[in-house]
Amino acid sequence: MFCRPALAFLLALPLSAFAAPAHYPLTVENCGKALTFQRAPERAVTIGQAATEILYALGLGERLAGSSLWFDPVLPEYAAQDAKVPRLADNEPSFEAVLAKRPQLVAVQFEWMVGPQGAVGTREQFHDLGIPTYLLPSDCEGKDNLKGADGTRLEAFDIQSLYKSVRQLADIFDVTARGEALVASYQARLAQAVARATRHSGKDVSAMVWFSSANLASDPFVAGRNGVADFMLGTLGIRNVVESTEEWPTVGWETLARANPSLIVIARMDRRRFPADDYEKKLEFLRSDPVTRNMEAVKHNRIVILDADAMQASTRLFGGIEQLADASERYAR
Amino acid sequence: MLCAGLLLATAIGETSLDMTVVLKVLANKLTGAAWWLDPIDEGIVWNYRLPRALVAGACGAGLAICGVILQALLRNALAEPYLLGISAGASTGAVMVSVLGVGGGIVSLSAGSFLGALLAFGLVVLLARSSRLSGSAGLIILAGIASSQLFNALTAFVIARSANAEQARGILFWLLGNLSGVRWPSVGLAVPVALLGLILCWWYRRALDAFTFGADSAASLGIAVGRVQVVLMTCAALVTAVMVSLVGSIGFVGLVIPHALRLWVGPGHGRLIPLSALAGAVFLMAADVVSRTLIKGQVLPIGVITALIGAPVFAALLLYGERRP
Repeated sequence: MFCRPALAFLLALPLSAFAAPAHYPLTVENCGKALTFQRAPERAVTIGQAATEILYALGLGERLAGSSLWFDPVLPEYAAQDAKVPRLADNEPSFEAVLAKRPQLVAVQFEWMVGPQGAVGTREQFHDLGIPTYLLPSDCEGKDNLKGADGTRLEAFDIQSLYKSVRQLADIFDVTARGEALVASYQARLAQAVARATRHSGKDVSAMVWFSSANLASDPFVAGRNGVADFMLGTLGIRNVVESTEEWPTVGWETLARANPSLIVIARMDRRRFPADDYEKKLEFLRSDPVTRNMEAVKHNRIVILDADAMQASTRLFGGIEQLADASERYAR
Repeated sequence: MLCAGLLLATAIGETSLDMTVVLKVLANKLTGAAWWLDPIDEGIVWNYRLPRALVAGACGAGLAICGVILQALLRNALAEPYLLGISAGASTGAVMVSVLGVGGGIVSLSAGSFLGALLAFGLVVLLARSSRLSGSAGLIILAGIASSQLFNALTAFVIARSANAEQARGILFWLLGNLSGVRWPSVGLAVPVALLGLILCWWYRRALDAFTFGADSAASLGIAVGRVQVVLMTCAALVTAVMVSLVGSIGFVGLVIPHALRLWVGPGHGRLIPLSALAGAVFLMAADVVSRTLIKGQVLPIGVITALIGAPVFAALLLYGERRP
């Protein structure tokens, strides 16, 4: 692949502003690699629900030759598109299952799927076969995925990285205007949620976000600093009581109980690998454990139940922020 | 010594609490004093730290006794529940019950764990007995390694059915031990089981002395070899299983403690058994304190600490020859 990023950038920008069909060859800078496209991909494969749903949001379902790595059922508004796309695997697909679709693009949500220790294969392996891999920038920019169980954020998650993935994917598929419109709608939703939350600013509202635990009473996995959940709290002016910069660190109840946050956010998910995956089990634990039942948030029932997929770097996070804004508004009264 | 260990383990934790707070909590709960305390601080000391220390102690004592039993009956200095794969079998049993729901909620975690432990132990004995390399002292350890690998793989398989980074944490819990979920109900199981193991083992102390010279010599001394073997082996499997079902598998306690004690009090089981139990209890409570404080703001799996101490001891035992236990 011969890359001329600077030239391509100049070419792509003014043309994309008019959504001109002829902005190819297009070069996109993506997580340390320059990808060049001669034309819009006709067949793409996705690894990761967030990448799949961005393409559906852009109305590109018919360009998808396969999807994989699902965490939750597809959003109802995308069900019609999804029905026509073969699912390669519920979890990570094998390298050859992806190749069999002869994709012209592989769009990936998490670096651990195609990174240096890629679960599916490395980006180099795909590129050697002439298949470009597009990794959602939210999982590579300012994040070290070789450190900690779910990677460690070196810089705080930036919502711009999510907008960037929408814009870049729209560009690659030659639907630039759709991308801009989608980003504008997300920005409006975010601004609205923030406006609601800042009405009662000035109070020190703190929170912890409990994702799950290996065993119900043992140290829980909670949202660390700089991650997506932390971004959601910070955007609404809520302080995260957890100080680790791992994405989802394991922190003891002793530490959490003494931090005594004013809100507790618990994740709801369909997965049932650990008993604590069930949000009702989490509620039961919080209300019955002799220590946690004395926490402010539990005593005053300031517990927010939030969908787990809304805490990921995906377009679902806007729904999550709206839910959280609702809750903080309710409790601020 | 046990009380000092308990107090220390209760006073030191993830967050720093004043010693006076700790003493006031104990005074409130034990003597009915009525100091006013923050209910969260009080809960942390009474409901988190104290049960944790007690279970750590019971676990350490239980595992040390298992080491004593296995070393005497198998006449092998390296015998220990973790190295023989019994802990791995117990983990698999527990995971089958808790993750796969085998037994439909009727079989408890401990029972599943006990079946796993027995199965693993049976496999090890069978492998060692039917091997054509019989006679070599290292044989049972090799069989133990095979069994550990098999059962650890099964545990990982059961947990890792889905692509998510979190799977690693679930696996870590069972493979390296974790005391963070321990509460009072665990104490009610761990302490009686450890005491039962201790009493049973002490009851058979003379038989264990005799076994040190081999099953034949034991028989010639009038000991019902078969029955003693079955009773004590079952006891070791049961104690290991209960401890594993509560805190995951913690290695090397059964190796380090009996050997250290033998150097000090000699091989006689009359003294070795109670002192091993005591030292095991204090050792694991101390290991737990270290695991909670070594890296600030992070709790290491306790199995990491015991392995860091235990593996060099294992190496030393290999290097300096096999003294008969």
